Amino acid sequence: MAQTDDDPLLALYLERRTNLVRFLAARAGSLAAAEDLAQDLYLKLVSRDPTPDISNPLALLYKMALNLMLDRARGEARSAARDTAWRQVERTEVGGVAIADEPPADEAAASAQRLRQLVAAVAELPPQAGRAFRLHKLDGLSHAETARVMGLSVKAVEKHVSAALKALTARLGARGGAGGPP
Amino acid sequence: MSEAWIRGEDARRASAADWLVRLQSPDLADLDEQVAEAVAFDNWLAAHPANVAAYDAVLAVTLELQNAAAAIGKAFEDGPVARAALARRSPAATRGWLIAGALAAAATVALTVTPFAGLQTAGSAPKSYVTAKGERRAVKLADGSTIELNAGSALSVTLGAHERHVTLAEGEAVFDVAADKARPFIIAAGDRTVRVVGTRFDVRRRAGELSVTVERGLVEVNPAEGAPHSGMAGRGFRLRPGQRLDHREGAGEVQLSAADPAQVSSWRAGRLIYRDRPLSEVVADLNQQFAKPIAIDDPVLAQTRVSGVLVLDDQDAVIRRLALLAPIKALPSPQGVLLRRDEAAKP
Repeated sequence: MAQTDDDPLLALYLERRTNLVRFLAARAGSLAAAEDLAQDLYLKLVSRDPTPDISNPLALLYKMALNLMLDRARGEARSAARDTAWRQVERTEVGGVAIADEPPADEAAASAQRLRQLVAAVAELPPQAGRAFRLHKLDGLSHAETARVMGLSVKAVEKHVSAALKALTARLGARGGAGGPP
Repeated sequence: MSEAWIRGEDARRASAADWLVRLQSPDLADLDEQVAEAVAFDNWLAAHPANVAAYDAVLAVTLELQNAAAAIGKAFEDGPVARAALARRSPAATRGWLIAGALAAAATVALTVTPFAGLQTAGSAPKSYVTAKGERRAVKLADGSTIELNAGSALSVTLGAHERHVTLAEGEAVFDVAADKARPFIIAAGDRTVRVVGTRFDVRRRAGELSVTVERGLVEVNPAEGAPHSGMAGRGFRLRPGQRLDHREGAGEVQLSAADPAQVSSWRAGRLIYRDRPLSEVVADLNQQFAKPIAIDDPVLAQTRVSGVLVLDDQDAVIRRLALLAPIKALPSPQGVLLRRDEAAKP
Protein backbone atom coordinates (compact mmCIF):
# COMPACT_ATOMS: atom_id res chain seq x y z
CA MET A 1 0.00 0.00 0.00
CA ALA A 2 1.13 3.44 -0.86
CA GLN A 3 1.07 4.91 2.63
CA THR A 4 3.67 2.52 4.06
CA ASP A 5 6.48 4.02 1.96
CA ASP A 6 6.66 7.20 4.01
CA ASP A 7 5.56 5.60 7.29
CA PRO A 8 8.15 3.16 8.63
CA LEU A 9 6.13 2.57 11.80
CA LEU A 10 3.10 1.37 9.82
CA ALA A 11 5.37 -0.76 7.64
CA LEU A 12 6.90 -2.33 10.76
CA TYR A 13 3.43 -2.92 12.18
CA LEU A 14 2.38 -4.81 9.08
CA GLU A 15 5.59 -6.85 9.23
CA ARG A 16 5.34 -7.68 12.95
CA ARG A 17 1.58 -7.80 13.33
CA THR A 18 1.44 -11.53 14.11
CA ASN A 19 4.13 -11.15 16.79
CA LEU A 20 2.17 -8.30 18.35
CA VAL A 21 -0.90 -10.54 18.41
CA ARG A 22 1.19 -13.28 20.07
CA PHE A 23 2.31 -10.81 22.75
CA LEU A 24 -1.16 -9.35 23.29
CA ALA A 25 -2.79 -12.81 23.40
CA ALA A 26 -0.54 -13.77 26.31
CA ARG A 27 -1.43 -10.57 28.13
CA ALA A 28 -5.14 -10.45 27.31
CA GLY A 29 -5.72 -14.18 27.69
CA SER A 30 -7.53 -14.51 24.38
CA LEU A 31 -6.68 -14.38 20.70
CA ALA A 32 -9.89 -12.51 19.91
CA ALA A 33 -9.06 -9.75 22.40
CA ALA A 34 -5.52 -9.63 21.02
CA GLU A 35 -6.83 -9.26 17.46
CA ASP A 36 -9.15 -6.49 18.66
CA LEU A 37 -6.22 -4.63 20.22
CA ALA A 38 -4.06 -5.11 17.14
CA GLN A 39 -6.85 -3.63 15.01
CA ASP A 40 -7.16 -0.66 17.36
CA LEU A 41 -3.43 -0.15 17.06
CA TYR A 42 -3.71 -0.27 13.27
CA LEU A 43 -6.42 2.39 13.29
CA LYS A 44 -4.32 4.51 15.61
CA LEU A 45 -1.36 4.19 13.25
CA VAL A 46 -3.22 5.06 10.06
CA SER A 47 -5.00 8.02 11.64
CA ARG A 48 -1.89 9.78 12.92
CA ASP A 49 0.57 11.85 10.91
CA PRO A 50 3.44 9.69 9.69
CA THR A 51 6.72 10.28 11.50
CA PRO A 52 9.57 9.31 9.21
CA ASP A 53 12.37 9.41 11.82
CA ILE A 54 11.94 7.18 14.85
CA SER A 55 14.99 5.95 16.72
CA ASN A 56 13.46 2.70 17.99
CA PRO A 57 10.26 1.93 16.06
CA LEU A 58 9.80 -1.58 17.51
CA ALA A 59 9.86 -0.22 21.08
CA LEU A 60 7.41 2.53 20.10
CA LEU A 61 5.07 -0.04 18.55
CA TYR A 62 4.98 -2.16 21.71
CA LYS A 63 4.68 0.94 23.87
CA MET A 64 1.61 2.01 21.91
CA ALA A 65 0.20 -1.52 22.23
CA LEU A 66 0.76 -1.56 26.01
CA ASN A 67 -0.82 1.88 26.36
CA LEU A 68 -3.85 0.69 24.40
CA MET A 69 -4.17 -2.23 26.81
CA LEU A 70 -3.96 0.12 29.79
CA ASP A 71 -6.57 2.44 28.30
CA ARG A 72 -8.86 -0.49 27.75
CA ALA A 73 -8.32 -1.89 31.21
CA ARG A 74 -9.22 1.50 32.70
CA GLY A 75 -12.07 2.48 30.41
CA GLU A 76 -13.69 -0.83 29.72
CA ALA A 77 -13.91 -2.53 33.08
CA ARG A 78 -17.68 -2.39 32.67
CA SER A 79 -17.88 -3.77 29.18
CA ALA A 80 -15.17 -6.33 29.95
CA ALA A 81 -17.40 -7.67 32.69
CA ARG A 82 -20.25 -7.58 30.21
CA ASP A 83 -18.22 -9.39 27.56
CA THR A 84 -17.07 -12.04 29.98
CA ALA A 85 -20.56 -12.59 31.26
CA TRP A 86 -21.78 -12.70 27.68
CA ARG A 87 -19.19 -15.32 26.85
CA GLN A 88 -20.21 -17.35 29.86
CA VAL A 89 -23.87 -17.16 28.98
CA GLU A 90 -23.79 -17.40 25.22
CA ARG A 91 -20.71 -19.21 24.13
CA THR A 92 -17.49 -20.83 25.16
CA GLU A 93 -14.05 -20.52 23.69
CA VAL A 94 -11.93 -23.52 22.87
CA GLY A 95 -8.36 -22.78 21.91
CA GLY A 96 -9.24 -19.14 21.38
CA VAL A 97 -11.97 -20.00 18.90
CA ALA A 98 -15.48 -19.01 19.84
CA ILE A 99 -17.94 -21.85 19.79
CA ALA A 100 -21.58 -20.84 19.59
CA ASP A 101 -24.05 -21.98 22.19
CA GLU A 102 -26.00 -25.12 21.37
CA PRO A 103 -23.28 -26.71 19.27
CA PRO A 104 -24.17 -29.65 17.03
CA ALA A 105 -24.12 -33.00 18.84
CA ASP A 106 -20.84 -34.15 17.29
CA GLU A 107 -19.14 -30.91 18.33
CA ALA A 108 -20.48 -31.28 21.86
CA ALA A 109 -19.18 -34.84 22.05
CA ALA A 110 -15.80 -33.77 20.68
CA SER A 111 -15.49 -30.97 23.21
CA ALA A 112 -16.54 -33.30 26.07
CA GLN A 113 -13.83 -35.72 24.99
CA ARG A 114 -11.31 -32.90 24.74
CA LEU A 115 -12.27 -31.71 28.22
CA ARG A 116 -11.51 -35.20 29.58
CA GLN A 117 -8.09 -35.03 27.93
CA LEU A 118 -7.42 -31.61 29.49
CA VAL A 119 -8.47 -32.79 32.96
CA ALA A 120 -6.37 -35.97 32.71
CA ALA A 121 -3.33 -34.01 31.53
CA VAL A 122 -3.62 -31.56 34.44
CA ALA A 123 -4.21 -34.37 36.93
CA GLU A 124 -1.04 -36.17 35.87
CA LEU A 125 1.32 -33.24 36.21
CA PRO A 126 4.07 -33.64 38.83
CA PRO A 127 2.56 -32.64 42.23
CA GLN A 128 4.22 -29.24 42.74
CA ALA A 129 3.90 -28.15 39.11
CA GLY A 130 0.30 -29.35 39.04
CA ARG A 131 -0.58 -27.43 42.17
CA ALA A 132 1.07 -24.22 41.02
CA PHE A 133 -0.68 -24.56 37.67
CA ARG A 134 -4.14 -25.13 39.18
CA LEU A 135 -3.85 -22.29 41.69
CA HIS A 136 -2.51 -19.83 39.14
CA LYS A 137 -4.20 -20.76 35.87
CA LEU A 138 -7.45 -22.40 37.00
CA ASP A 139 -8.22 -20.48 40.19
CA GLY A 140 -6.77 -17.22 38.97
CA LEU A 141 -4.37 -16.50 41.83
CA SER A 142 -1.42 -14.27 41.01
CA HIS A 143 2.10 -15.68 41.17
CA ALA A 144 2.60 -13.90 44.48
CA GLU A 145 -0.62 -15.32 45.96
CA THR A 146 0.23 -18.79 44.67
CA ALA A 147 3.68 -18.46 46.24
CA ARG A 148 2.12 -17.53 49.59
CA VAL A 149 -0.34 -20.44 49.49
CA MET A 150 2.38 -22.94 48.55
CA GLY A 151 5.02 -21.47 50.84
CA LEU A 152 7.45 -20.98 47.97
CA SER A 153 9.24 -18.03 46.37
CA VAL A 154 7.63 -16.30 43.39
CA LYS A 155 10.54 -17.45 41.20
CA ALA A 156 9.93 -21.06 42.22
CA VAL A 157 6.23 -20.72 41.37
CA GLU A 158 7.10 -19.31 37.95
CA LYS A 159 9.41 -22.27 37.35
CA HIS A 160 6.69 -24.74 38.30
CA VAL A 161 4.07 -23.04 36.11
CA SER A 162 6.48 -22.93 33.18
CA ALA A 163 7.32 -26.62 33.63
CA ALA A 164 3.60 -27.40 33.76
CA LEU A 165 2.91 -25.48 30.54
CA LYS A 166 5.78 -27.23 28.81
CA ALA A 167 4.53 -30.68 29.86
CA LEU A 168 0.91 -29.85 28.97
CA THR A 169 1.92 -28.59 25.54
CA ALA A 170 3.98 -31.68 24.87
CA ARG A 171 0.98 -33.81 25.77
CA LEU A 172 -1.96 -31.78 24.43
CA GLY A 173 -0.52 -29.61 21.70
CA ALA A 174 0.24 -32.22 19.07
CA ARG A 175 -3.13 -32.19 17.31
CA GLY A 176 -2.83 -30.34 14.02
CA GLY A 177 0.29 -28.47 15.08
CA ALA A 178 -0.75 -24.98 14.05
CA GLY A 179 -2.68 -23.42 16.85
CA GLY A 180 -1.39 -19.90 17.19
CA PRO A 181 -2.21 -16.64 15.47
CA PRO A 182 -2.52 -16.76 11.69
CA MET B 1 13.48 -37.83 14.09
CA SER B 2 16.92 -37.69 15.68
CA GLU B 3 17.52 -37.49 19.38
CA ALA B 4 19.24 -34.11 19.00
CA TRP B 5 16.18 -32.76 17.20
CA ILE B 6 13.89 -33.93 20.01
CA ARG B 7 16.20 -32.29 22.59
CA GLY B 8 16.13 -29.08 20.55
CA GLU B 9 12.35 -29.10 20.36
CA ASP B 10 12.14 -29.75 24.08
CA ALA B 11 14.45 -26.84 24.86
CA ARG B 12 12.52 -24.49 22.61
CA ARG B 13 9.26 -25.50 24.24
CA ALA B 14 10.81 -24.79 27.64
CA SER B 15 11.93 -21.32 26.46
CA ALA B 16 8.49 -20.67 24.99
CA ALA B 17 6.80 -21.66 28.26
CA ASP B 18 9.21 -19.39 30.18
CA TRP B 19 8.34 -16.48 27.89
CA LEU B 20 4.63 -17.04 28.23
CA VAL B 21 4.87 -17.17 32.03
CA ARG B 22 6.88 -13.95 32.04
CA LEU B 23 4.44 -12.17 29.72
CA GLN B 24 1.45 -13.34 31.74
CA SER B 25 2.78 -12.04 35.06
CA PRO B 26 3.48 -8.38 34.43
CA ASP B 27 5.16 -7.64 37.76
CA LEU B 28 7.17 -4.92 36.04
CA ALA B 29 5.53 -1.72 37.21
CA ASP B 30 7.45 0.50 34.85
CA LEU B 31 6.07 0.82 31.32
CA ASP B 32 9.55 1.16 29.80
CA GLU B 33 10.61 -2.12 31.40
CA GLN B 34 7.54 -3.81 29.97
CA VAL B 35 8.36 -2.36 26.56
CA ALA B 36 11.92 -3.64 26.82
CA GLU B 37 10.63 -7.10 27.70
CA ALA B 38 8.18 -7.04 24.78
CA VAL B 39 10.95 -6.07 22.37
CA ALA B 40 13.17 -8.86 23.73
CA PHE B 41 10.25 -11.26 23.22
CA ASP B 42 9.72 -10.06 19.65
CA ASN B 43 13.43 -10.50 18.93
CA TRP B 44 13.33 -14.01 20.35
CA LEU B 45 10.41 -14.89 18.07
CA ALA B 46 12.15 -13.34 15.07
CA ALA B 47 15.37 -15.23 15.79
CA HIS B 48 14.06 -18.60 14.59
CA PRO B 49 10.85 -19.92 13.01
CA ALA B 50 10.99 -22.85 15.44
CA ASN B 51 10.67 -20.37 18.32
CA VAL B 52 7.44 -19.10 16.77
CA ALA B 53 6.10 -22.64 16.35
CA ALA B 54 7.01 -23.57 19.93
CA TYR B 55 5.44 -20.41 21.34
CA ASP B 56 2.24 -20.83 19.30
CA ALA B 57 1.89 -24.39 20.57
CA VAL B 58 2.33 -23.34 24.21
CA LEU B 59 0.02 -20.33 23.75
CA ALA B 60 -2.75 -22.39 22.13
CA VAL B 61 -2.70 -25.00 24.90
CA THR B 62 -2.53 -22.35 27.62
CA LEU B 63 -5.47 -20.36 26.22
CA GLU B 64 -7.47 -23.54 25.76
CA LEU B 65 -6.84 -24.52 29.38
CA GLN B 66 -7.62 -21.00 30.65
CA ASN B 67 -10.87 -20.92 28.70
CA ALA B 68 -11.84 -24.31 30.05
CA ALA B 69 -10.65 -23.43 33.58
CA ALA B 70 -14.13 -23.49 35.13
CA ALA B 71 -14.99 -26.86 33.58
CA ILE B 72 -11.63 -28.38 34.53
CA GLY B 73 -11.96 -27.03 38.07
CA LYS B 74 -15.40 -28.56 38.34
CA ALA B 75 -14.14 -31.92 37.09
CA PHE B 76 -11.51 -31.82 39.81
CA GLU B 77 -14.12 -31.15 42.47
CA ASP B 78 -16.46 -33.87 41.22
CA GLY B 79 -14.44 -36.63 39.66
CA PRO B 80 -12.27 -39.50 40.86
CA VAL B 81 -9.29 -37.75 39.33
CA ALA B 82 -9.79 -34.94 41.78
CA ARG B 83 -10.08 -37.24 44.76
CA ALA B 84 -6.83 -38.90 43.78
CA ALA B 85 -5.22 -35.49 43.47
CA LEU B 86 -6.66 -34.42 46.83
CA ALA B 87 -5.20 -37.50 48.50
CA ARG B 88 -1.74 -36.41 47.37
CA ARG B 89 -2.07 -33.02 48.99
CA SER B 90 -0.81 -32.15 52.46
CA PRO B 91 -3.33 -30.72 55.00
CA ALA B 92 -1.72 -27.28 54.99
CA ALA B 93 -1.95 -27.21 51.25
CA THR B 94 -5.64 -28.13 51.33
CA ARG B 95 -6.45 -24.96 53.20
CA GLY B 96 -4.84 -22.83 50.55
CA TRP B 97 -6.68 -24.74 47.85
CA LEU B 98 -10.03 -24.14 49.56
CA ILE B 99 -9.37 -20.41 49.99
CA ALA B 100 -8.39 -20.20 46.35
CA GLY B 101 -11.53 -22.08 45.34
CA ALA B 102 -13.69 -19.70 47.33
CA LEU B 103 -12.08 -16.66 45.71
CA ALA B 104 -12.64 -18.08 42.25
CA ALA B 105 -16.25 -18.95 43.02
CA ALA B 106 -16.96 -15.45 44.32
CA ALA B 107 -15.52 -13.89 41.18
CA THR B 108 -17.65 -16.13 38.95
CA VAL B 109 -20.87 -15.29 40.77
CA ALA B 110 -20.21 -11.56 40.57
CA LEU B 111 -19.70 -11.78 36.82
CA THR B 112 -22.80 -13.78 36.03
CA VAL B 113 -25.18 -11.77 38.17
CA THR B 114 -24.22 -8.20 37.25
CA PRO B 115 -25.34 -7.62 33.68
CA PHE B 116 -28.61 -6.53 32.20
CA ALA B 117 -30.74 -6.34 35.35
CA GLY B 118 -33.46 -3.81 34.68
CA LEU B 119 -33.02 -3.82 30.93
CA GLN B 120 -35.91 -6.15 30.24
CA THR B 121 -38.22 -3.70 28.55
CA ALA B 122 -41.57 -5.11 27.63
CA GLY B 123 -41.79 -3.97 24.03
CA SER B 124 -42.04 -0.75 22.10
CA ALA B 125 -43.42 0.83 18.96
CA PRO B 126 -41.10 0.91 15.91
CA LYS B 127 -38.71 3.84 15.83
CA SER B 128 -37.11 5.08 12.63
CA TYR B 129 -33.65 6.52 12.23
CA VAL B 130 -32.47 8.24 9.05
CA THR B 131 -29.16 9.90 8.19
CA ALA B 132 -28.66 12.41 5.38
CA LYS B 133 -25.69 12.51 3.02
CA GLY B 134 -22.54 13.20 4.97
CA GLU B 135 -24.28 12.60 8.31
CA ARG B 136 -23.26 9.86 10.71
CA ARG B 137 -25.17 9.09 13.83
CA ALA B 138 -24.92 6.82 16.88
CA VAL B 139 -28.14 5.56 18.44
CA LYS B 140 -28.33 4.01 21.87
CA LEU B 141 -31.24 1.60 22.22
CA ALA B 142 -33.17 0.96 25.42
CA ASP B 143 -31.72 -2.56 25.69
CA GLY B 144 -28.17 -1.22 25.85
CA SER B 145 -27.32 -2.04 22.22
CA THR B 146 -25.86 0.68 20.03
CA ILE B 147 -26.25 1.24 16.31
CA GLU B 148 -23.92 3.55 14.42
CA LEU B 149 -25.46 4.65 11.13
CA ASN B 150 -23.30 5.60 8.18
CA ALA B 151 -24.39 8.44 5.91
CA GLY B 152 -27.42 7.98 3.66
CA SER B 153 -28.94 5.21 5.76
CA ALA B 154 -32.44 4.41 6.98
CA LEU B 155 -33.52 1.77 9.46
CA SER B 156 -36.31 1.09 11.93
CA VAL B 157 -36.08 -0.62 15.31
CA THR B 158 -38.71 -2.55 17.23
CA LEU B 159 -37.78 -3.82 20.68
CA GLY B 160 -40.35 -6.54 21.22
CA ALA B 161 -40.88 -8.69 24.28
CA HIS B 162 -39.59 -11.79 22.50
CA GLU B 163 -37.49 -10.38 19.72
CA ARG B 164 -35.51 -7.27 18.85
CA HIS B 165 -36.08 -6.44 15.23
CA VAL B 166 -34.31 -4.02 12.90
CA THR B 167 -35.18 -3.40 9.26
CA LEU B 168 -32.31 -1.92 7.29
CA ALA B 169 -34.05 -0.24 4.34
CA GLU B 170 -30.91 1.29 2.89
CA GLY B 171 -27.38 2.11 3.89
CA GLU B 172 -24.87 0.76 6.36
CA ALA B 173 -24.56 0.42 10.13
CA VAL B 174 -22.37 -1.14 12.79
CA PHE B 175 -24.33 -3.02 15.43
CA ASP B 176 -23.04 -3.57 18.95
CA VAL B 177 -25.66 -5.83 20.43
CA ALA B 178 -26.24 -6.28 24.16
CA ALA B 179 -26.62 -9.90 25.15
CA ASP B 180 -30.18 -10.96 25.86
CA LYS B 181 -30.71 -14.63 25.25
CA ALA B 182 -34.48 -14.34 25.69
CA ARG B 183 -34.77 -11.76 22.90
CA PRO B 184 -32.77 -12.53 19.76
CA PHE B 185 -31.62 -9.56 17.70
CA ILE B 186 -32.72 -9.90 14.09
CA ILE B 187 -31.91 -7.59 11.21
CA ALA B 188 -33.91 -7.77 7.98
CA ALA B 189 -32.00 -6.47 4.95
CA GLY B 190 -33.54 -7.17 1.57
CA ASP B 191 -33.96 -10.88 1.03
CA ARG B 192 -31.70 -11.87 3.96
CA THR B 193 -32.14 -11.84 7.68
CA VAL B 194 -29.18 -11.49 10.00
CA ARG B 195 -29.56 -13.21 13.33
CA VAL B 196 -27.16 -12.20 16.02
CA VAL B 197 -25.35 -14.80 18.01
CA GLY B 198 -22.46 -12.54 18.89
CA THR B 199 -21.90 -8.88 19.41
CA ARG B 200 -20.34 -6.61 16.82
CA PHE B 201 -20.64 -6.43 13.06
CA ASP B 202 -21.27 -4.21 10.06
CA VAL B 203 -24.29 -4.58 7.76
CA ARG B 204 -24.48 -2.73 4.49
CA ARG B 205 -27.29 -2.61 1.95
CA ARG B 206 -26.84 -0.28 -0.98
CA ALA B 207 -28.56 -0.54 -4.34
CA GLY B 208 -29.50 -4.17 -3.80
CA GLU B 209 -25.99 -5.22 -2.75
CA LEU B 210 -25.80 -6.64 0.75
CA SER B 211 -22.69 -7.26 2.78
CA VAL B 212 -22.19 -8.37 6.37
CA THR B 213 -18.79 -8.21 8.09
CA VAL B 214 -18.25 -9.58 11.59
CA GLU B 215 -15.90 -7.89 13.99
CA ARG B 216 -16.61 -9.83 17.17
CA GLY B 217 -18.73 -12.84 18.05
CA LEU B 218 -20.92 -14.85 15.72
CA VAL B 219 -23.59 -13.77 13.25
CA GLU B 220 -26.02 -15.86 11.23
CA VAL B 221 -27.20 -14.74 7.82
CA ASN B 222 -30.29 -16.54 6.50
CA PRO B 223 -32.62 -16.16 3.52
CA ALA B 224 -35.63 -14.04 4.44
CA GLU B 225 -39.04 -15.67 4.31
CA GLY B 226 -40.16 -15.79 0.70
CA ALA B 227 -36.64 -15.49 -0.73
CA PRO B 228 -35.78 -18.10 -3.36
CA HIS B 229 -34.56 -21.23 -1.58
CA SER B 230 -32.31 -22.57 -4.28
CA GLY B 231 -28.58 -22.82 -4.73
CA MET B 232 -26.08 -21.39 -2.33
CA ALA B 233 -28.36 -18.45 -1.51
CA GLY B 234 -30.97 -20.87 -0.20
CA ARG B 235 -29.05 -21.69 2.94
CA GLY B 236 -27.90 -19.88 6.04
CA PHE B 237 -24.34 -19.00 6.93
CA ARG B 238 -22.69 -18.52 10.27
CA LEU B 239 -19.96 -15.88 10.13
CA ARG B 240 -17.03 -15.60 12.48
CA PRO B 241 -14.85 -12.54 13.18
CA GLY B 242 -12.97 -11.44 10.08
CA GLN B 243 -15.46 -13.06 7.71
CA ARG B 244 -17.55 -11.19 5.21
CA LEU B 245 -20.62 -12.23 3.24
CA ASP B 246 -21.60 -10.52 -0.01
CA HIS B 247 -24.90 -11.09 -1.78
CA ARG B 248 -26.84 -9.39 -4.58
CA GLU B 249 -30.52 -9.43 -3.78
CA GLY B 250 -32.41 -12.01 -5.82
CA ALA B 251 -29.22 -13.68 -7.04
CA GLY B 252 -28.64 -17.39 -6.52
CA GLU B 253 -25.28 -17.06 -4.88
CA VAL B 254 -23.50 -15.77 -1.84
CA GLN B 255 -19.79 -14.96 -1.59
CA LEU B 256 -17.82 -15.54 1.56
CA SER B 257 -14.44 -13.93 1.99
CA ALA B 258 -11.97 -12.82 4.60
CA ALA B 259 -12.25 -9.15 5.49
CA ASP B 260 -10.70 -6.78 7.93
CA PRO B 261 -13.65 -5.54 10.03
CA ALA B 262 -11.71 -2.47 11.11
CA GLN B 263 -11.41 -1.50 7.47
CA VAL B 264 -15.04 -2.16 6.66
CA SER B 265 -16.34 -0.07 9.55
CA SER B 266 -13.62 2.58 9.33
CA TRP B 267 -16.28 5.11 8.23
CA ARG B 268 -17.17 5.41 11.92
CA ALA B 269 -13.89 7.24 12.46
CA GLY B 270 -14.34 9.47 9.41
CA ARG B 271 -12.13 7.35 7.20
CA LEU B 272 -12.62 4.85 4.45
CA ILE B 273 -10.11 2.02 4.24
CA TYR B 274 -9.90 -0.25 1.23
CA ARG B 275 -7.85 -3.25 0.38
CA ASP B 276 -8.25 -4.37 -3.21
CA ARG B 277 -11.81 -3.08 -3.74
CA PRO B 278 -13.22 -1.84 -7.08
CA LEU B 279 -13.17 1.90 -7.73
CA SER B 280 -16.95 1.76 -8.26
CA GLU B 281 -17.40 0.77 -4.59
CA VAL B 282 -15.19 3.63 -3.42
CA VAL B 283 -17.20 6.08 -5.53
CA ALA B 284 -20.51 4.68 -4.24
CA ASP B 285 -19.25 5.23 -0.67
CA LEU B 286 -18.07 8.77 -1.42
CA ASN B 287 -21.43 9.58 -2.98
CA GLN B 288 -23.03 8.85 0.39
CA GLN B 289 -20.69 11.29 2.08
CA PHE B 290 -20.77 14.29 -0.26
CA ALA B 291 -23.51 16.28 -1.97
CA LYS B 292 -21.79 16.64 -5.36
CA PRO B 293 -22.29 13.32 -7.22
CA ILE B 294 -19.20 11.56 -8.59
CA ALA B 295 -19.60 9.46 -11.75
CA ILE B 296 -17.32 7.09 -13.68
CA ASP B 297 -18.04 6.80 -17.40
CA ASP B 298 -15.64 3.95 -18.09
CA PRO B 299 -16.74 0.44 -16.97
CA VAL B 300 -13.17 -0.88 -17.10
CA LEU B 301 -11.97 1.98 -14.95
CA ALA B 302 -14.85 1.31 -12.54
CA GLN B 303 -13.42 -2.17 -11.91
CA THR B 304 -9.89 -0.90 -11.17
CA ARG B 305 -8.79 -2.21 -7.78
CA VAL B 306 -8.06 0.33 -5.06
CA SER B 307 -6.11 -0.07 -1.81
CA GLY B 308 -5.54 2.71 0.70
CA VAL B 309 -7.00 5.04 3.28
CA LEU B 310 -9.19 8.06 2.50
CA VAL B 311 -9.76 10.61 5.24
CA LEU B 312 -13.19 12.16 4.78
CA ASP B 313 -12.88 15.92 5.00
CA ASP B 314 -13.32 18.13 1.95
CA GLN B 315 -14.66 16.51 -1.23
CA ASP B 316 -12.10 18.06 -3.58
CA ALA B 317 -9.25 17.05 -1.26
CA VAL B 318 -10.61 13.51 -1.03
CA ILE B 319 -10.78 13.22 -4.83
CA ARG B 320 -7.21 14.55 -5.11
CA ARG B 321 -6.05 11.86 -2.68
CA LEU B 322 -8.06 9.22 -4.51
CA ALA B 323 -6.09 10.16 -7.64
CA LEU B 324 -2.96 8.98 -5.79
CA LEU B 325 -4.49 5.53 -5.33
CA ALA B 326 -6.03 5.04 -8.78
CA PRO B 327 -5.14 6.22 -12.30
CA ILE B 328 -7.86 8.86 -12.47
CA LYS B 329 -8.33 12.52 -13.17
CA ALA B 330 -11.39 14.44 -12.06
CA LEU B 331 -13.30 16.70 -14.46
CA PRO B 332 -16.12 19.03 -13.50
CA SER B 333 -19.39 18.00 -15.15
CA PRO B 334 -22.88 19.53 -15.22
CA GLN B 335 -24.04 16.88 -12.71
CA GLY B 336 -21.02 17.00 -10.41
CA VAL B 337 -17.66 15.33 -10.93
CA LEU B 338 -16.67 12.91 -13.68
CA LEU B 339 -13.77 10.50 -13.19
CA ARG B 340 -11.74 9.65 -16.30
CA ARG B 341 -8.77 7.41 -16.78
CA ASP B 342 -5.62 9.47 -16.47
CA GLU B 343 -3.60 8.34 -19.48
CA ALA B 344 -0.54 10.11 -18.12
CA ALA B 345 -0.62 8.04 -14.93
CA LYS B 346 1.55 4.98 -14.74
CA PRO B 347 -0.48 1.79 -15.18
